[in-house]
Amino acid sequence: MAKLKADLLQGTLDLLILKTLELEPMHGWGVTQRIQQVSDSVLQVNQGSLYPALHRLEEQGWIRASWGTSENNRQARYYELTARGRKQLAEEKENWLRLSGAVARIVGT
Amino acid sequence: MNRLASIFRFFFRRGRFESEMDAELREHYDRQVEQNMARGMSRAEAVRQAAIVVGGVEQLKEECRDARLGRTIETMAQDIRYGLRVLARNPGFSLAAILTLALGIGANTAIFSLVYGVLLRPLPYMHGEQLVVLHQDAPGANVLDYPFSVKEIDDYREQNHTLQGMAEHHTMNFLLIGKETAERVETAVVSANFFEVLGVKPLLGRTFVAGDEGHGAPAVLILSYKYWQTHQGGDPQIVGKVFQMNNHPHTVIGVLPPIPQYPVESDVYMPTSQCPTRSSAGFINNRNARMMTVFGRLKPGVTLSEARADLAVIAASTQKAYPGIYLAADGYRVRPDGLRDDLTQRARTMFLVLLGVVGFVLLAACANVANLFLARLLKLERELAVRSALGAGKARLMRQLLTESVLLAVGGGLVGVVLAPFALQVLTGFAGRFTTRAAEVRMDGPVLLFTFLVSVGTGIVFGLAPVLTTSGWLGTAFQQASSRGTASRGRSRLRSALVVAQVAFSVILLAAAGLMMRSFVKMQQVRPGFAPDRLITMRISPGMPPYTMKTARLLTDRILDRIRTAPGVESAAMGTTFPFNPAGLVFGPSQNQYLVQGRPHGPGEPTMTTDVRVVTAGYFETIRQPIVKGRSLTQHDCELASPEVVVINQTLARNQFAGEDPIGKRVSFDKGETWVEIVGIAGDVREYGLNQPAVGEIYGALRDGFVNRLVVRAGGNAETAEQTLRAAIHELDPLLAIDQVQTVEHAEYESLEPPRMMTFLMGIFAGLALLISASGIAAVMALSVSQRTREIGVRMALGARRSSVVAMVVRQGIVLTVAGIAAGTLVAAPLTKLLASMLYGISPTDPLTFAAIPVIFLLVAAVACFVPARQATSIDPLTALRQE
Repeated sequence: MAKLKADLLQGTLDLLILKTLELEPMHGWGVTQRIQQVSDSVLQVNQGSLYPALHRLEEQGWIRASWGTSENNRQARYYELTARGRKQLAEEKENWLRLSGAVARIVGT
Repeated sequence: MNRLASIFRFFFRRGRFESEMDAELREHYDRQVEQNMARGMSRAEAVRQAAIVVGGVEQLKEECRDARLGRTIETMAQDIRYGLRVLARNPGFSLAAILTLALGIGANTAIFSLVYGVLLRPLPYMHGEQLVVLHQDAPGANVLDYPFSVKEIDDYREQNHTLQGMAEHHTMNFLLIGKETAERVETAVVSANFFEVLGVKPLLGRTFVAGDEGHGAPAVLILSYKYWQTHQGGDPQIVGKVFQMNNHPHTVIGVLPPIPQYPVESDVYMPTSQCPTRSSAGFINNRNARMMTVFGRLKPGVTLSEARADLAVIAASTQKAYPGIYLAADGYRVRPDGLRDDLTQRARTMFLVLLGVVGFVLLAACANVANLFLARLLKLERELAVRSALGAGKARLMRQLLTESVLLAVGGGLVGVVLAPFALQVLTGFAGRFTTRAAEVRMDGPVLLFTFLVSVGTGIVFGLAPVLTTSGWLGTAFQQASSRGTASRGRSRLRSALVVAQVAFSVILLAAAGLMMRSFVKMQQVRPGFAPDRLITMRISPGMPPYTMKTARLLTDRILDRIRTAPGVESAAMGTTFPFNPAGLVFGPSQNQYLVQGRPHGPGEPTMTTDVRVVTAGYFETIRQPIVKGRSLTQHDCELASPEVVVINQTLARNQFAGEDPIGKRVSFDKGETWVEIVGIAGDVREYGLNQPAVGEIYGALRDGFVNRLVVRAGGNAETAEQTLRAAIHELDPLLAIDQVQTVEHAEYESLEPPRMMTFLMGIFAGLALLISASGIAAVMALSVSQRTREIGVRMALGARRSSVVAMVVRQGIVLTVAGIAAGTLVAAPLTKLLASMLYGISPTDPLTFAAIPVIFLLVAAVACFVPARQATSIDPLTALRQE
């Protein structure tokens, strides 16, 4: 099980969070669960990396936080993408695809 | 905007920020526990596992806070508060550092105000960068920058493709006639488009329009702001008022705003049609009748070099069309220069040298404070060790130290800004001798920004040096925390290097100041070639009309006859100018064409030019300029009926008649139409200042017209003679305007004011640097003594004599000083070449100066070392040893 190293892959973590928030607003816990689930538990984001990243993304103006009621009727802080966040996501996605494609071509041969 | 809001929330909604962060992390933790329990763990196990996953909560919160922008500001504020507390706890250190820096930064602020106001500030005219001034040169004849004739102006105006406007300017002698007296007003005569080309809007009324320049147009005047204020009391109803000038009524149509005037300060402006000379057909049609300065405005987007190329084409075709006027050998050319550069050209070298000088003062101050800082760091070592043990990061501690040094520098900068205006007053007066832009010198936004940047930069430079060398101090600091620290070798080497640097910077400044001083002394020893004592001079301006060139000639005789019989007058004469005339110092010798008989002007030879002065009989006798050969000019020579004769000076005799006797030879000023005989050779006079070599002169006898300079040798005190002279002249005609009254001794003194002021300023700055480095040496020696207390104690206990202890300390200081002197001398030798244009009679590497400085410096260093050395001998061996 690969653990995500925050300092090494900070840009990647940002991309994962933005992508996860693309579909719907979500709270921090939800983000970790979704990433774990979608990656078949290959990627596990721990709390120590997630929350500083969320604060950083909010400071950049890419996501916005608000309090809402969660599925089990508890107060939770929900994060959603802003318009600038969507633009940033598109850019980072393209970068990532180009980079991973290139790496795959080299490693795959 | 978003960011600002976020920073605002971070600071002012801090409680909410924290509680929301708490709640969120708590929620995450709870869910982790629930999930763990759902996976079948016991509650206790679930809580334990969740805590492991979550990690240290406080550390996590700190990381979240660090992700916020406001956090950076918060830490900086903390650093600043802490820094201020630390500095307040060490008032002695802080005060010494701030004062040293204040001197350095204040000097830089004052000089930069000058440099910025004169050399860099955009001209206060609309698009001042487009303004150019045109020069005509004949380098082959050694004539640079001669004025334009109407024909030449017309050529350039009609044929150029790069200028959107051209305007002309010359000055004229006008008298403002009052009821009983007349007053000379400095009058500029300009083309109607002058203010339009410069882009100046009037404060009151209007500026000139084309109609004002037409033939027979009513005479109009525009007043300068200064003249309006000082002579008209700022009268708001001035527009429409009628002045009697030269017997004509002139109507005021406008007042200029308070702007510096170019090329000279004038009282009033008139259109060209008001100047009788300028509007006469003879003048307009004579291509050789030159007296105007020409300004132009570049078309938008046109560069200066494009304009140069464009005008050069016109100059070439003009030269081809009139080969008799523009001799091929003279190399005629026209040269447009940026107006700003042109106006400040005389000041540039001096100001840049001063800027360099204060730069070195600041460097010396920097090195000095860096040393103080380093010494203090040594005492702080234990505190730093404790703080790093408590978890402060190295980067954070370094930032803290840098914050302190920048705070000190900014404090020094603030004090410097308070001090600078005092220096600026003196400096502005100094600048006024070279450029009319001096009025624009002030400390404003750009200057304060410069000071701020210099302060912060200074703080970083002197703060960084010690901090960088402490890399690795964390480890050693730990070991030393409990013991008495011994100076680490690296740092004491740095301290020595800083002392050497201070000494070196000071040596450079001392060398420069020493050269200026030696040169100034040499200038003062120059013999002027005549006797300036008790000579008084004044300018007499008759109105023309009522006088004409003919009657004015008679007026000269009447004035001299009357004055020569006045009490207290030994002798008197008149001339076009006098030695050390301030205007002459600015504009230099005149350049009149002449020929020598029997030496036909061959094709391909450049034009011969010389300075010419027209004087009355008795001129040489009055100023006591010796006639070394032949005879002087007599009253008989000044009659129109007599043959025209001249006297030349020794320089011209040497340059043009080497090996021949010039007396009896003839010269011509009108290309050979008439010839005048040389009847005598006068001794050389330093007409253009003691520091300027004598130039070739021809002295002609006044036969026609008027020369307005009266020179009188008073029997007693020259200063008290003024009233007698004024009364005597006004007895003849009360409407003769008298101004520019001064003694020639005063003019001589004034002629050396620029080098005197430069010497003074450089002396002050070098003295400042010397003081700074002496205190630097003393401080380092004192520190070294206190660190070697034990060693000295042991030495003395073992029987070392006081004198040998003193010698040991002094030797250490002298070694550093010698190293600094050597380094400084090596750097100074090439740098002082930049002073060459300001030096008189000595070379920039004058051996005497360079030999004297080490001696002076060693004496100062010895005194600086002596105090700490005395302190060393007072160490009681027993106390020193018992301290362990």
